[in-house]
Amino acid sequence: MKNGNIHIRGWGAVTALGWGASEGARRLIAGDVRPAGICGSAHLVNREFKAFEVPDDGNPLEKSLKMLDASITEAFKRGGLSASEIAESALLVGTTGGIFIRNEHEFTESVRQNPGKESPPIVCRNRGPGEVADVIARQYGIRGLPITFSMACVSSSHALVVAADLIAQKRIRRAVVVGFEPLLNLTLQGFASLLLYDPDECRPFCNRRMGMQIGEAASCLILEEGESAAADQSGFWFAGGHLYNDNRSLTSAGTDGEMVRGVVARALLKAGTDPGDIVAVKAHGTGTRDNDLSEGRGLAKVFGDRLPPVVSLKGVIGHTLGAAGTVETALWLSCLDQGVIPKSFGFAETDPEIGFAPSQENLPAAAGAYLFTFFGFGGTCTAYVIRKMAS
Amino acid sequence: MAASYLGPALVPNADAAWDEAKLPANPDELVQKMMGQPMRRAGRFIKLVCCGALACMSRVPEEALRGRNIGIFLATGLGNIDEILPFITQVFKHDGGFPSPNQFANSVSNSAAFFLAKFCGIKGVVLTVSQEELSFESALWLAQSYLAAGEIDLALVGGCDVFTPSVEDYRERLNLAPGRYRRAPLGEGSGWLLLGGDGEMKIGDILSVEFSSGLTDAERPSSDDLLKYCEKQFEELRHKMESPDDGCKPTPLSFPRKRKSTETPKKPDSRLRGNDRENVTKLFLPGFRLSDMNEALWQKNGWEMDDYLIACGISSTASACGLARTLLSRRRTFLVHGNFSSSGRPALIAAATE
Repeated sequence: MKNGNIHIRGWGAVTALGWGASEGARRLIAGDVRPAGICGSAHLVNREFKAFEVPDDGNPLEKSLKMLDASITEAFKRGGLSASEIAESALLVGTTGGIFIRNEHEFTESVRQNPGKESPPIVCRNRGPGEVADVIARQYGIRGLPITFSMACVSSSHALVVAADLIAQKRIRRAVVVGFEPLLNLTLQGFASLLLYDPDECRPFCNRRMGMQIGEAASCLILEEGESAAADQSGFWFAGGHLYNDNRSLTSAGTDGEMVRGVVARALLKAGTDPGDIVAVKAHGTGTRDNDLSEGRGLAKVFGDRLPPVVSLKGVIGHTLGAAGTVETALWLSCLDQGVIPKSFGFAETDPEIGFAPSQENLPAAAGAYLFTFFGFGGTCTAYVIRKMAS
Repeated sequence: MAASYLGPALVPNADAAWDEAKLPANPDELVQKMMGQPMRRAGRFIKLVCCGALACMSRVPEEALRGRNIGIFLATGLGNIDEILPFITQVFKHDGGFPSPNQFANSVSNSAAFFLAKFCGIKGVVLTVSQEELSFESALWLAQSYLAAGEIDLALVGGCDVFTPSVEDYRERLNLAPGRYRRAPLGEGSGWLLLGGDGEMKIGDILSVEFSSGLTDAERPSSDDLLKYCEKQFEELRHKMESPDDGCKPTPLSFPRKRKSTETPKKPDSRLRGNDRENVTKLFLPGFRLSDMNEALWQKNGWEMDDYLIACGISSTASACGLARTLLSRRRTFLVHGNFSSSGRPALIAAATE
């Protein structure tokens, strides 16, 4: 389905780079970034993992909800949404952990308050991933249909494509799309058990890459049908996207790159865009051996010797899991808004099996089509194209 | 095209008895029977998703599925909590634990949909949707949208949630505060529908899936408001049945449909008279949040009520079992399933059996 008449009215993101997409973009463009570090949050039980933590002194539950609030408020403010426009919007959320952090916070608090006693088993009181949408809807008075997608690393990127599809189908007129992923022991330990961490740094597409690093984030994008003053102001249009689920492997996108090629080609077709028209690629680029090989080979197959600049943001904000779709899109749009395609961090040496280096310098952000790719656990893939209009 | 349900006793398409205190039952025998092989590394959630969905798919001849672009829409309120709990218990174990990578892989939210897609040979649109007690309604609405847009030919839509001890913890996860649910045992289930197709194997129509814009308890419609809504839906259906041009196709779904509690019901269609009205059973399926139904008034207006929770108990996606069970067991029935979210947002599914 083509989504040509959908503009992105507003966006916001809280990441390790700062409490706003604009602030994050400024720091990213200026190179004012920090590598992942040992995290200080009180709820984390293992201090061996490096991750990209959002700076804050509050308790982790309050901080997570504050991140959610800050990103949504930034998006509403940027889009200039009135209370009635917010109320009539649909709400699509992408998250894997939901508000699971409440369990982790309560457990560690209980242990802290009972020194010397044996830790009790953790109690799991959260109401599933859908709880996040319920909290948001009530806080902001969003009366449209809430739907939560819980699909590992493509949760919010799938939510964006579904939102655009529903707008194109005239089922909804506007969607508030949220990605939310607080830092959890559950995921930190989980990926550690799969031996997927790079202990030093996240190095997307680099021959020295050894794995991913996790980041926490919250973000929000507002998609809206039709042309308006708000559309002119934002200058970004969702041209089309494709979501796909492959059933060959639970953990790998197929290192021959064929699946990536197919998904990207289909997304370009739906967006009515030729490969030659893509200005730059915001790649998934996790820094794991398999993902970067699949993606690198897939992109090479699509673009051949006319590969546009490829950038992964995970070297500076980490893999924000279910929030990655909206987080990386929001941060990217703020960079473009500031006139720059940011460079890719964490790269040192070309992988001969991939055959290209991600973009190593900030570039001027031309008007045109930008490709976004996301891949996840369970054979899930999302790709979409966003057009930046000439100012 | 097909429907299937599995309750806590793990007997497909039967109202088999179970005891809340003895939950959960071991699904391995059922897995062997349904899948033809054990699923040694999978948790109960994945097993119940696959068994429930395959029970539905197996009711349709293979040739009716061949070459069709099928989407999977898996709804779950709590997801694979059965895998998350032991994993996180290991993580937070006193003096440290050793969480298993396999347990983590199975605890990832869309693992179940992946395994189902693999067993069914489905690629493409595979979505895992979660919205507490309205998860199944959300997935059904989404599936209807993708079918209507021609993105897929068929939609395999289901809801699955598994019981995880203890009863008190499960009750808290389901947000079952006193007075906010109907008295019924806690349960689990896997209910599935296969939607779409050319009508040859039709067992019913999903007419509409509607959500109110209400956000608070004060906006929560009363039993009488629901009755008015159901009467209105019934009259619209009868109008379609009597109109040769419209046939009895699923009503295009509107979104968002803003219902106000003061909305006056549409006047009954004057063309609806005589035997036709009596020949169709009107059935209301109350979801587990509906605790204050004025049953006498509904009966006075010709509505039967079926408390399907006797077949599956309370779980976030019990509505999937209720709907599938009715589509399998009733004929010439117009039915509405109604439920609320815990914050008071109503969702109603209207359907008709052949």
